[in-house]
Amino acid sequence: MPDDDKIKKCEIENEELKKLNNVKSDLISISAHQLRTSLSAVKWILKMFIDRDFGDMTTEQENFANRAFDSNERMIKMVNEMLSINHAEDMTLSYDFEKHDLVKLIESVLFDFTGESYKRGIEIIFLKPESLAPFMFDEEKIRVVLQNLIENSIKYSNTGDKVFVTVSDKDDVVNISVRDTGIGIAAGDQPRIFEKFFRADNAQKKDPVGSGLGLFTTKSIVEKHGGKIWLESTDKGGTTFFVDLPKKPSATSHTGKSPLTGGPGVL
Amino acid sequence: MAKKILIVEDDTFLQSLAANKLQKEGFEVMAAGNSDEATKAMEESTPDLILLDLVLPGTDGFGILQKVRQNLKMTKTPVIVFSNLAEDKDIARAKELGANEYMVKSNFTLDELAARIKELIA
Repeated sequence: MPDDDKIKKCEIENEELKKLNNVKSDLISISAHQLRTSLSAVKWILKMFIDRDFGDMTTEQENFANRAFDSNERMIKMVNEMLSINHAEDMTLSYDFEKHDLVKLIESVLFDFTGESYKRGIEIIFLKPESLAPFMFDEEKIRVVLQNLIENSIKYSNTGDKVFVTVSDKDDVVNISVRDTGIGIAAGDQPRIFEKFFRADNAQKKDPVGSGLGLFTTKSIVEKHGGKIWLESTDKGGTTFFVDLPKKPSATSHTGKSPLTGGPGVL
Repeated sequence: MAKKILIVEDDTFLQSLAANKLQKEGFEVMAAGNSDEATKAMEESTPDLILLDLVLPGTDGFGILQKVRQNLKMTKTPVIVFSNLAEDKDIARAKELGANEYMVKSNFTLDELAARIKELIA
């Protein structure tokens, strides 16, 4: 077969795979919504039983109600994880670089976390730069980076802790840092922390259900922007993640709407 | 006087659970299963807070939120979006339309919801 035909065939197949991937993503989103509705009902009722909203219970009844509640919580987490894996896969497909306001984006992400941080009794403090001109980045992807880092900082902190999100303008790059006083990452685990599916022992203990994809996705996104990510932490507690984003995406990143390069279009 | 909460939720089971809990917590509860019922309830009596689901038959929660914010009596009424949709685009849209809070149903229990409501309309 001539090369031109081969390329054309690949392009058609690639388009079909992309469509199929969209169908898969939609199916996961829809089923997750349906599952969550039933899971919510079970969660709410069991909690009302446990709180004695419906009257007193024997110790045995309470014991089983608590176990049912925990089991349902694991299912909810699994649904959440299924959605985030789905999201992470879609993430690698294409990049769209345009000028955006990073401070505004962070404020919007923090708004999404108000409920969660309130619930866990953790205060998030945002230290903004005096001014920061819009610069080129993929807004949706950087949103995921911020979400992952902030979510981790909340997840691995304890009630009453504070999380600091800082943005500073360093001429050619913008530095974002997310600092917590949580459980920390042991020195031995740090080299592997960005690996796909890796989860540190203390993280697994604190939160048994996790995909191990968050920091892997975060790092890939930062690197596609020509930036870098690193951390400072000890297992005595407290972790700070730093992200440097270049104001002008370098040669390693793409400009404009472009499909994924350097690999098949669909995972 | 008891604060009034309007629950807009089409799933009658979830609606009755939320209503039950909020009444126990001392709130007066009005319930609606769709946009028309919500409009009617709001005409009868202005709520102190609205608990709003997004996926509804007919006009969805976003449409209702838009109407609420256009109503001069309710430009500042706290609205908690209480949905199981949790995509960034949904959260961003609800915020743009003036939601005060976005809570994913399966991530909260009703006592946590009640505590948050009390904070918003203490």
